[in-house]
Amino acid sequence: MSEAVPPSPGSPASVRLTAPFRLRDGEAMAARIVVAAGLSLLSAALLVALSGHSPLAAFGAMALGSVGSPHQIGVGLNRATPYLLAGSGVAICFRAGVINIGAEGQIALGGTGAAAVALAWPSGASALSALAALIGAAAFGALWAGLATAIHLGRWVHEVLATLLLNFVALLLVQQALAGPLGQFGAGFLQSPQLPAESWLWKAPEFNAHVGFLIALAAAAALSVVLWRTPFGFAVRVAGQSRPAAAYAGFSMPAMTWGVMLLAGALAGLAGGVEVLGVHHRLIEGFSLGFGFKAVTVALLGALEPLAVVPASLFVGLLEAGSLSMQRQIGVPSAVVVIEGVTMLFVLAATARRT
Amino acid sequence: MSALLEMRGIVRCYGAVRANDGVDLEVRSGEILGLLGENGSGKSTLMKVLFGMTPADEGAIIFRGRALAGHKPADAMEAGIAMIHQHFMLIEAMTIVENVMLGWRDAGRILKRGETAARVSEASRRLGLDLDPQALVADLPLGRRQRVEILKAVLRDAELMILDEPTSNLAPTEVADLLSILRRLRAEGKGIIFISHKLPEVLDVCDRVVVLRKGRVSGRAPIRDVSKAELAEMMVGRDVTAPHERRALASGAVRLDVAGLVGPRVGPVSFAVRGGEILGVAGVDGNGQMELAESLAGLRRPSAGSILLDGQDILSASVAARVAAGMAYMPADRSSTALAPGLTIADNLMLRDSRRPPYARGVFLAPGSLQQRARQLMREYDIRAPGPQTRAARLSGGNQQKIVVARELARKPAALIAHQPAWGLDPGATRFVLEQVLALRAAGAAIVYFSSELEEVLDISDRIAVMANGGFAGVTTRAEADIKMIGLWMSGRAA
Repeated sequence: MSEAVPPSPGSPASVRLTAPFRLRDGEAMAARIVVAAGLSLLSAALLVALSGHSPLAAFGAMALGSVGSPHQIGVGLNRATPYLLAGSGVAICFRAGVINIGAEGQIALGGTGAAAVALAWPSGASALSALAALIGAAAFGALWAGLATAIHLGRWVHEVLATLLLNFVALLLVQQALAGPLGQFGAGFLQSPQLPAESWLWKAPEFNAHVGFLIALAAAAALSVVLWRTPFGFAVRVAGQSRPAAAYAGFSMPAMTWGVMLLAGALAGLAGGVEVLGVHHRLIEGFSLGFGFKAVTVALLGALEPLAVVPASLFVGLLEAGSLSMQRQIGVPSAVVVIEGVTMLFVLAATARRT
Repeated sequence: MSALLEMRGIVRCYGAVRANDGVDLEVRSGEILGLLGENGSGKSTLMKVLFGMTPADEGAIIFRGRALAGHKPADAMEAGIAMIHQHFMLIEAMTIVENVMLGWRDAGRILKRGETAARVSEASRRLGLDLDPQALVADLPLGRRQRVEILKAVLRDAELMILDEPTSNLAPTEVADLLSILRRLRAEGKGIIFISHKLPEVLDVCDRVVVLRKGRVSGRAPIRDVSKAELAEMMVGRDVTAPHERRALASGAVRLDVAGLVGPRVGPVSFAVRGGEILGVAGVDGNGQMELAESLAGLRRPSAGSILLDGQDILSASVAARVAAGMAYMPADRSSTALAPGLTIADNLMLRDSRRPPYARGVFLAPGSLQQRARQLMREYDIRAPGPQTRAARLSGGNQQKIVVARELARKPAALIAHQPAWGLDPGATRFVLEQVLALRAAGAAIVYFSSELEEVLDISDRIAVMANGGFAGVTTRAEADIKMIGLWMSGRAA
């Protein structure tokens, strides 16, 4: 009709914090990402040149470091794994309009859970110890997310505050555990004894990549099925669009919040467990510093779409592996932090959409 | 005397639709011009062009002797044009004087509260607005809020005021007050464009009328030369909408029985609706209609009372349980309650039924039958869109409401709560919605139909209740409905 549709009476004027970063029409989006990647490479080159190094040599080292050898690809995959696990959990929370910033703490506790189970597991049943440790990791993560949810729903504390603040408590708890029951006496810094080898994740020999990435892939695929092919996922998508519409549809917001938070918590916990069992083979203080916050970026980069979080996490994982090796070989200080920051800003600016 | 405003040959196209197709319009100082037309006739587009909210494709606008072209609303305001919207743009948590100062240069960089308050009081006295500058907007009834908007326009030295459907949210007494304020503004030499489709008000207050139909001027005349019937014909053309087909129905058994319902800002309310009966609920918006409708639909928990649907008490049943028990609901807020705007048509068609067949099979959704069912409903309910995967937000209001109608009525409900179901729809879509409601009545459902458009309620209802202050001020039958009495009830005087 010729006249614009007027707003219905009573429509909320407030802007949703999350109304999500949806994918735009495919090709325009792809073009934007290419441009953004180009621009970020250019700015990174500029910064490298400013620090007095050759950008060409630096990027050569970066390329070799990310995809130069099976071993390096494995490093990238290992780095991508926690981002994929925690990121797809964050994505489903954001989809529901639940702003969960608690992955950082949930990952740390997940690692702690994995280490605790692995260390305590009876040696008689060692075949199951890796599995049990992973379950322990997921349980610890879910528990921590559940605590935040209980505070949020029970006492009406905004979920951003509840999840964010519990991160700091979680990090202190890990420290406490390492200073006490889980710690290795006389190690010089806070870490646990090495975990029994039966609990380590299987590694592909050539690649140096542990099996965690496959677990993460399966989790993202399962989450995608939940989101798109179940009534629960439908409720999540409706709630993220409009809370009043979700109430009208008969979906219980508390139940849904519990659902997405426990899912995300378990996945974040798993991320911590995979890191401990697959990479370090012990619990080390600060092993996951920044993972949880980066998971939020990765989730947004993946447009809150579990399957799209896969390439997003790979991108970040390989980028990190590459810039790490550039930092080592060319000696550009803080290259990882700078390149990652610049690239993410550009790509997010290209993919985010006004709501 | 030269015109205050001259619009000549305005053309504005949206795609293939010529929303304005060569419209000429003139307003003089000290004149109230009535701008009439049905929804979709091009009134809003013309005013948006004038106010700079959308550019004209062709034509010229001359205001106070200067050409306006490529202007934005800020430029229009600067030039002396004010738009008083249907939905007021006031901050509820602020006082009147604070709202007046918002974005107003004369308030000073360091706000001149005292001085502004004095100017508010002075203008309020002069125009008979009866506004206390320190009153909180949240505490004001809608009629008063509208006066705040008028006051803002006057203090900003607006010479031309556009009032878009200014009486649609007002009680009869408030309407009378507004009209006398407009007469005072006219006496001060302001030009006023009064947009309405309520003919009695137009005949009462306007000096001249311009009528639009399908984007063109279908009539213009001094008010003393036209009758109500002539205006109506200019508005709708020869194709006068046929009255709705209503069959008299044998009275059925009571299907919806509400007793002593009490909740925040509503009640106590008691009523019973039989199968095949429409209970129309009239009243000025904000008198508890939303609260009552949501209590019946389960979105609010009443604190006392009972709601029997086919004899089963659903007072404490969840929304989902009520849907399953046969309670259908069309909320007033179409854009974000009745629909999830970013989701597809297919998703919106299953919005309230996603846990039942054919949409769900066990723990999974069945995408195939979702698409199939969506196509079928789109055909049956004439939802016009490229396909079931089109986002609901991209549809016109009429097609959006058809999604809601399709979803709620295809379930063959025992009872329907319809809240402003024809709000903002064009005549074709309005007719479609009303016909569907009547078809549901013929199928034996109990229907509660809320609308603040009295004529719509009188037109469709078997019985009419009037809501005021959260309760029913009176109930009458279709045959005995008396406009004067209903008007009294609407203004809050009990029967």
